[in-house]
Amino acid sequence: MKNLRMKAARAALDLSQQQLADAVGVSRQTINAIEKGDYNPTIKLCTAICRCLGKTLDELFWEG
Amino acid sequence: MNHYSAGILFGLTVGVLVGLLFVMFLFKKRVLDTHFDERQERARGKAFQYAFSSLAISAYAYGVSDLVLGTWCDVLAGVSLCLALSICVFAVTCILKDAYLSLREKPRTVMTLFTLLTLANLSFGGVYAASGGLVENGVLTFRAVNPIIGVATLVILIVYIVNHLLRNREEETE
Repeated sequence: MKNLRMKAARAALDLSQQQLADAVGVSRQTINAIEKGDYNPTIKLCTAICRCLGKTLDELFWEG
Repeated sequence: MNHYSAGILFGLTVGVLVGLLFVMFLFKKRVLDTHFDERQERARGKAFQYAFSSLAISAYAYGVSDLVLGTWCDVLAGVSLCLALSICVFAVTCILKDAYLSLREKPRTVMTLFTLLTLANLSFGGVYAASGGLVENGVLTFRAVNPIIGVATLVILIVYIVNHLLRNREEETE
């Protein structure tokens, strides 16, 4: 399932996939794969992304 | 061991040492690097599995072919064929999963290196083929190692470029 919330949070900060990838120490393709729902990141990467985007885990990754 | 065999052994040892030194130099200059992210590590693990299976199957097939058909290539060429096949399987799987190059490797630099490797090895192969040293008495000799490596790096290069172009097109349409 696509992670549109993460994409929206990234866009709101005017960050490109590459900039977010550099900030959390992964490749651009990994950010792309997470947003497309092709890759399920570990909790470590999830928290790094949340910290970078100023969101909580619930806001970005919880499928309630 | 006669002089001819000793010469071959010496040549191969020097070749391997020079190759190792060159790879160490590339790591030192940060042309090559081994920092992968978690998705890439996972994808590479899967690729290793496929490559190991390919190596086991191809080595077995080579042994069987040698028994059934008789000696059609010398051992070094046969081993190189099996290794080249498994390396291709590993590389192609990694490329298709965007996990071939590490976070710090520059695609253009690495692919230029691959192009040079391909050209050098295929050129050596061409020279050996022209001089008739590639096949002796119907048996593929150890001199085939160069063209085998050349073809393997060419396959990796082509798959990388085609995949890169297709991904770019995909991302443009998204």
